[in-house]
Amino acid sequence: MNTIRAAAPPDFRGGLAGTATLYAATARLGFRRQFAYPQAAAWGLITNFFFGVLRIAVLLALFGARPQVGGWTAADAVTYVGLTQIFIGAFSLFGWTDFMRAVHRGEVVTDLLRPTSLLPFWAAQDAGRAAGQFMLRGLPMLALFVLVWEARWPAQPLPTLLSVLLAWACGFAFRFLVNCAAFWSPDAVGIGRFAWAVQGLGCGFLMPLAFFPAWVGSALAWTPFPAMLNTVVTLWLGQKTGAAAWAALAGQLGWTLVLFALCALALARGLRRLEVAGG
Amino acid sequence: MGRGRVALDSAIHHLRLYFLLLRAQARSQGVYRASFALDALATALITATEFAAFALVLPRFGGLGGWTLGEVALLYGLAELGFVLMDLLFGGFDAPNLSAQVRSGSFSTLLLRPAPLPVQVLGSDFALRRFPRALLAAGILAYGMAHSGVAWTAGDMALLAGSLVGLIAFFGGLFVVGGTLTFWTVESVEAMNVLTYGGRSLISYPMDIYGEWLRRAFTYLLPAAFLSYFPVMHLLGRPLPDGLPGWAAYLAPVAGPLVLGAAALLWRVGVRHYQGTGS
Repeated sequence: MNTIRAAAPPDFRGGLAGTATLYAATARLGFRRQFAYPQAAAWGLITNFFFGVLRIAVLLALFGARPQVGGWTAADAVTYVGLTQIFIGAFSLFGWTDFMRAVHRGEVVTDLLRPTSLLPFWAAQDAGRAAGQFMLRGLPMLALFVLVWEARWPAQPLPTLLSVLLAWACGFAFRFLVNCAAFWSPDAVGIGRFAWAVQGLGCGFLMPLAFFPAWVGSALAWTPFPAMLNTVVTLWLGQKTGAAAWAALAGQLGWTLVLFALCALALARGLRRLEVAGG
Repeated sequence: MGRGRVALDSAIHHLRLYFLLLRAQARSQGVYRASFALDALATALITATEFAAFALVLPRFGGLGGWTLGEVALLYGLAELGFVLMDLLFGGFDAPNLSAQVRSGSFSTLLLRPAPLPVQVLGSDFALRRFPRALLAAGILAYGMAHSGVAWTAGDMALLAGSLVGLIAFFGGLFVVGGTLTFWTVESVEAMNVLTYGGRSLISYPMDIYGEWLRRAFTYLLPAAFLSYFPVMHLLGRPLPDGLPGWAAYLAPVAGPLVLGAAALLWRVGVRHYQGTGS
């Protein structure tokens, strides 16, 4: 049985505690929703695993007999592929159009009726979704990669964990900002497709950023994309430790704050447009 | 009047019908010019970023298991061009499109119309935005042709063209199988992605980089290797694996249509089985 039960009605106390309870309930529902289609999740896992096999083959063939390239060993490359496949679901690396759809269909009006602010409401929902995807797809994938290819565990657990959380937050803010284009364009799907393609290259999903020529790396350092995946990889593999690791985390936090501020701005503008357009 | 004349007339009639369907869709897709342009660009960007990621890291490694960038571009461009052209032709059979039609019940209306079902399905999802992606794939193939050191003869060109035809038929067959499966189940069609999109990725790189079992499975169980890997190996003057004779490189125009033919048989069984969803 996979029925989704309604969450227990939150205890309305008002104030900060009440708001926190509301968002926690929202996140919990987003989490539970991921378990509604276990069969689809199983096939998704198989697909991700197969692509992982192909990507590892390409990277190992690139390494050939070389012990190290750009400070990476072949074992690092294998762990890297594992990480990218683990986080596809949780970080929605292939794109996310839920908010776009809500705007296009006018459902966003229902969201406005809720006793919550729009941005934190969607953030809470996506946090639940991400956690559910991580449990359902990420953890089994991690287990497979550790068992089959001896992928390594994080070299520094605490900074890595923080980096994973920040990568989700930064990625969510970016995805939400792209979805806000729906307020201005009747067909924002193309804008989304464009954004996800750029993100795939920029965050180090298609290839580790360390293998790119130096000019690509320095150009990407001016963008938020590395904060959405590459930082997690470098901390997981232990290529940045101590002060450098904390600086990388600060960079992730900075981009997250900037993107959330842009989201709030776009949302305010977009909703005002909606009010003008709506009756 | 002979029977041949009648058959020819009906073929011409169906072809006209097909192009009529394409024109109707082309018109509707051109309504929002700017968003269409962006969508088309974004679709091409997916291929561009994937190949760019590979091309950017290759200099650091020198080559991919003895293959230069030009040689890999020949293989990659061929697979990509075949796949995109197939997607333009057979997009209507792709599982997401067909399963949406089955679920909404609009597939049932296709059955009522006095036109052959395959013609209607072939003309039901013609995405113009895939054209720039096809152009880009042709560009990568052209780069590969110029930089692989092959002195092109008419025979070589024929081999390449035959390979392209085989690829279109092969992947088209996989799309038809995936679409047919949606008559029975809407869930597990994702497994077909391993063969379609996974197969496309798999044959984009030299197949000797994969494990023995994977290469053999995609040679003898599913004849993917005959479609691009063997022809390209032959063009580059390399012997085929497993001691296969040189003429095996010329089997693409046979292997592809064989898969498509088998898929067509399954399609007929599926249509006979189809009962509608009652919606």
